Amino acid sequence: MQDGTITGAMSESQFAALVDALATDPDRREQLPELLREAHPLYNERGAAATVRMRGWVLLALARVGVSDAALCFVLEELDTGADAYLVAAAARALRSYPSPTEGFAPFVMRALANIRYRDEPVSFEYYGAYAVSSTGTSPVRELLATLVWLGPHARGVLHEVESLCAHPCGLSKKLLIEVDQAVEAIRKHDQVGEAGADTCCTLPGGLRNMLSWTRRSRRSCEPIQHTVFEDHEGVSITFKEFFQGHPSIVVFFYTRCDNPLKCSLTVTKLARLQKLLEARGLVDQIHTAAITYDPEFDLPERLRGYGQNRGVRMDARHRMLRATNGVNTLRSHFKLGVNFIESLVNRHRIELYILDAEGRIATSFERIHWDEEQVVDRTIEVLQEGSDEPSPVVSLRPADQPTRRINASPVLGTLASLGVAFFPKCPVCWTAYLSVFGIVGLEKIPYSPWLQPVLVAVMLMNLASVWCRGRSTRRMSAFYLGSAGALAIVVSRIGLGGEHAAVWGIALTMAGSLLSALSPSPHRSSPASRSSELSHS
Amino acid sequence: MAEQRKAAQRSTAAGKPKRPAQRSARSALLIATDAKKTVKQRVAAMAEAPLAVCENDANLQAMLKVLRDNEEPVEVRLAALQALQAASFSVVAFASCRGDYIATLRAVVEDANPELRQRVLGILAREKDGFAQQKLLEGLQDPAKALVPPEKALQLLSYDVHADAYPVARAIVSQPPNATARREALRLLAADASSAPLFEKILRDKDEAPEVRQISAAVLQATRPETLQAHAREMLLDPSEQDEMQAVSLTALAQFGNAAALANDAALLHRIDQLSGEQSTRVQQSARQFLSKYGR
Repeated sequence: MQDGTITGAMSESQFAALVDALATDPDRREQLPELLREAHPLYNERGAAATVRMRGWVLLALARVGVSDAALCFVLEELDTGADAYLVAAAARALRSYPSPTEGFAPFVMRALANIRYRDEPVSFEYYGAYAVSSTGTSPVRELLATLVWLGPHARGVLHEVESLCAHPCGLSKKLLIEVDQAVEAIRKHDQVGEAGADTCCTLPGGLRNMLSWTRRSRRSCEPIQHTVFEDHEGVSITFKEFFQGHPSIVVFFYTRCDNPLKCSLTVTKLARLQKLLEARGLVDQIHTAAITYDPEFDLPERLRGYGQNRGVRMDARHRMLRATNGVNTLRSHFKLGVNFIESLVNRHRIELYILDAEGRIATSFERIHWDEEQVVDRTIEVLQEGSDEPSPVVSLRPADQPTRRINASPVLGTLASLGVAFFPKCPVCWTAYLSVFGIVGLEKIPYSPWLQPVLVAVMLMNLASVWCRGRSTRRMSAFYLGSAGALAIVVSRIGLGGEHAAVWGIALTMAGSLLSALSPSPHRSSPASRSSELSHS
Repeated sequence: MAEQRKAAQRSTAAGKPKRPAQRSARSALLIATDAKKTVKQRVAAMAEAPLAVCENDANLQAMLKVLRDNEEPVEVRLAALQALQAASFSVVAFASCRGDYIATLRAVVEDANPELRQRVLGILAREKDGFAQQKLLEGLQDPAKALVPPEKALQLLSYDVHADAYPVARAIVSQPPNATARREALRLLAADASSAPLFEKILRDKDEAPEVRQISAAVLQATRPETLQAHAREMLLDPSEQDEMQAVSLTALAQFGNAAALANDAALLHRIDQLSGEQSTRVQQSARQFLSKYGR
């Protein structure tokens, strides 16, 4: 049966028969992993429970025929984030059919054990859709312990954790303690260490990775969704183009009604951590972040805001929680989202994070397995630096000890203005006297300009204001006091109260103030040490 | 003074009824699971047994056997179920017993006793158990297979938004077996954003019961708050509208409305002015509260 004929119209029993047929046919087995893709039409309009039954059956088929590299990511995803007993048990069983055990599997098994041990319940793999009504069969914890036995010495990296299960079997049925002992014994088999020792700890086989990157030329255009309208956590409307173009962005998908705490809730919590990392690196203004809901009909702005606030998400103009007001379908096809629905409600989704470049195109995606915040930030910085041969000054060395240019009015100009005010001639006769001092003759050529005096006063006041501003930023106001005293002396001399020498003193004081202001050290902006010293002063 | 206090304490102590000698939880469990004891003795012992349930596997199995055994008196089985539920509150201690407990509950969902069935299905539904949900849905689709009344099945399915119960709930709204089932179906659909048009229709239908219309108003407030505001205004301006719905509309506008728009809505304010003097006490109160908030 071609994949194209597999549709959502198929009944569950037909689906089970199809899976069995694929499993028994060596030529068609490779189609099985495709049936685990959330977006597969098979899962359209299925309930969440039906989706669990169907996916579980595929995993069990894989357990029978052997898990290939193509299927491995689905198996590990279930162990990493699965919360359903049936699926976790099926995934644990399927993993044992992988051609060889690897150390990289052990952390996934332990994580699944930690996630499910307080929700262990019997499961039945007897037939499609079976539910266990007795506890004599298997359970997710039992399957996980069997997988640890299969891993044997390859799980020695988690031996301590398994041993602690014996010491503190909290949440484990007493009947399972024998199986815990068996797992410990299998892991301790050091005679096999030589073979297992070839593994590199925590690396996954088959080139498995949760990150996919696209070169700049191979990225899909975001033309189809440029005009998609979103509403943010404050109810403000914004288009994809307006929010995502002009700078790189990090996008995660979630929905508030997700009942798996290891998926949406954790994703949004991790987004908040990621924002803090961006903040620490001084990138919070250059890289946008967005959490987009899969469930826009239900996730109204108020719900988005509450969900974000409860998980410590930074929300402002550059960092938003979004819902697509025209539904999620356009986004779904553009991002090729790993999600499916029954009506408007999500029935199953994967974990997914996207890094968009400055044109809004997908540069990198992290899928299925939980992403590492540092790795995401590092990759986003690479995207930010794209297109410039030199590293961006902000990214590479934004540190605070880099001097920043500040615009200050020139002290020279202010001083000249003060001089001008002090010696401005009162009348044409005085003007003649001044010019004669410099040897200039010819009274008819003297341009007397009374309008120049208020201009000079204004420039002098500007100089004073500049010195005051600089004094505020350097926290040294002595220059301003000197300048003020000088200006006062000049004014006094001009109105005839200060005697002959007041203007000279005024000019001297103004010059001293301006010089002192110009020579004051620049405000130190950013070294943590200086910040802490500032704090201690304050 | 001290003597008086002591005397008072003595008299209080004398007035207290003497407690029966306290049994250990373990001995209570032995009595509770002993078929030779009377039903009354066993039911009383069950109440003291929860702490012993997860002490060891034998205790757990003895208790589960009572619950599973349909030869046991139903009072004792119900008491055993209650004891197990009480034990399950100690989440960490009970986790080791959970698997057996869930399996036993699934085994008795089809028990002959309706009360036991309903309680067991209730526990499983709260656990979002797929097996219980499947049984409940089957019962709604085919009444011959129903383990509990339809209204109860709908209520239990509503515990899980992912229970896949919306289609069957919509079918019940259009062809209800009884009024209570229809009400529960509407409550279940409250979480379904795509049912908003249905709720709008019910809200504006004066032939519907006020309780059902109030449910619709609450649902729209949660899923389409702006739509509810528009309907609430129209319902207030409609003199033939039911009193209960006028009061609901007033509350919706007063609590969640756009203050600036409402304060400038002369027609609405005039109407509410009228309501504050002429209608039922509840409407009067709501209208006065509204006017006090919006400046009249």
